[in-house]
Amino acid sequence: MSDAVSIDDLVAWIRRFRDAVQQHKDELTRLDSEIGDADHGSNMARGLDAVVARLEPAPADAAELFKTVGMTLVSSVGGASGPLYGTLFLRMGPALASDEVDAAALGAALRAGVDGVVARGKAELGDKTMIDALSPALDAWDAAAADGLAAAARAAAEAAARGRDATEHLVARKGRASYLGERSAGHVDPGAASATLLLEALRDTLAGAE
Amino acid sequence: MIGLVAVSHSRALADAAVHLALQMGGDDPPTVRVAAGGPDDDLGTDAVAIAAAIEEADSGDGVLVLMDLGSAILSAETALEFVARPERVRLSAAPFVEGLVAAVVTAADGADLETVAAEVRGAAEAKERQLGGPGDAASPILATDDDASTTAPDSPASGPDAPDPAPGTAVDGRTVSFEALVVNPSGLHARPAAAFVKAASQYDAEVRICDLDAGSEEVSARSLLALMALGIRRGARVRVSATGPQARQALDDLRARIDDGFGER
Repeated sequence: MSDAVSIDDLVAWIRRFRDAVQQHKDELTRLDSEIGDADHGSNMARGLDAVVARLEPAPADAAELFKTVGMTLVSSVGGASGPLYGTLFLRMGPALASDEVDAAALGAALRAGVDGVVARGKAELGDKTMIDALSPALDAWDAAAADGLAAAARAAAEAAARGRDATEHLVARKGRASYLGERSAGHVDPGAASATLLLEALRDTLAGAE
Repeated sequence: MIGLVAVSHSRALADAAVHLALQMGGDDPPTVRVAAGGPDDDLGTDAVAIAAAIEEADSGDGVLVLMDLGSAILSAETALEFVARPERVRLSAAPFVEGLVAAVVTAADGADLETVAAEVRGAAEAKERQLGGPGDAASPILATDDDASTTAPDSPASGPDAPDPAPGTAVDGRTVSFEALVVNPSGLHARPAAAFVKAASQYDAEVRICDLDAGSEEVSARSLLALMALGIRRGARVRVSATGPQARQALDDLRARIDDGFGER
């Protein structure tokens, strides 16, 4: 069997992400209430509900899917997560030009998306943001890509979770949390937490792809 | 005329700021569109709505976007990905309210996008300067044209003690000027300052103004922010000078307006 992602897989990934955010909504909001403005869980849940409502009928291809997801997030999340997650998906679409999306191609598309987030948010590794989960996840993905989609996604999800946990000790340098200075240490970053859910949803979707 | 877009987390804030700015815009203000508030009429910003507002505000001369805080900036930057002509859009770093007021007045005078963007960029400095803060030093924005010769040394009106000359005595290419007292109860605050800029901009003349009592530098009458930064108070003696083909008409008009207190007497 060919080790490739179908449009159905990608739609399933987005749905699974929505379900995970719904499930962890209160936890994300609790994390955000400690260092931010206590709306990350509810904002993301609202945005992803709007996204899922637009996936019926299913988009024709990956480019259309990611454009729909990105545009819907920027217009329905409300806070900074909207343009950031929106940019992630908007940049992934054009990077997935090929019909045959293997581990290397999906990894490249994810990297294009994350590069877009970095450019938009001007955050670096260690700033206590979603980048602290996404950036190590991409490196892990690339290192495992030769072993196939499921292995790459598994490695990426594990690296994201480690990156998320490591944000606990960081002092925030971006966004509302940065106003807290040293007091932002001791709390996991909510953006890194939701970004980990995104990669775990991908891992669970691709678990049977080998 | 360029268009403007006001981006805020709060629709009430944006509507009020635009209302204030349009008070200064004269009879033919620029198009100003608001993109404010998030989903469910909550606080927030929406890049798609900002992009739509930019398209609506663009008559072909470009659009300047003013934003409030944080994710308003992220959303405005994201909106540039959705507009047809992003090269015709500038995002301003100016403070929201001050920038909007200056943008409305400058755009109403027909200034192009780069000119308005440059003028508005100094809005924070103008405020600092008024408070005697760091912006007090001559800044690139508030520093006026480098053409220091607009007040010719041999002009009979160039000294503070010179008698008030009749502007009609001017010869082409020379500076003519008059001195007058500001009678407005609150001095040349925002509204009369905007009226002054608007009137001065109608003429083919380079008009400048200084506060003689404060010993201020001369600033261009085309810059609302520079004029407001002078902080001219009631009873202050100002000198208005002009060069150019319509210098005389400009001074006649401005003198009448100042004497009339811009309708505030």
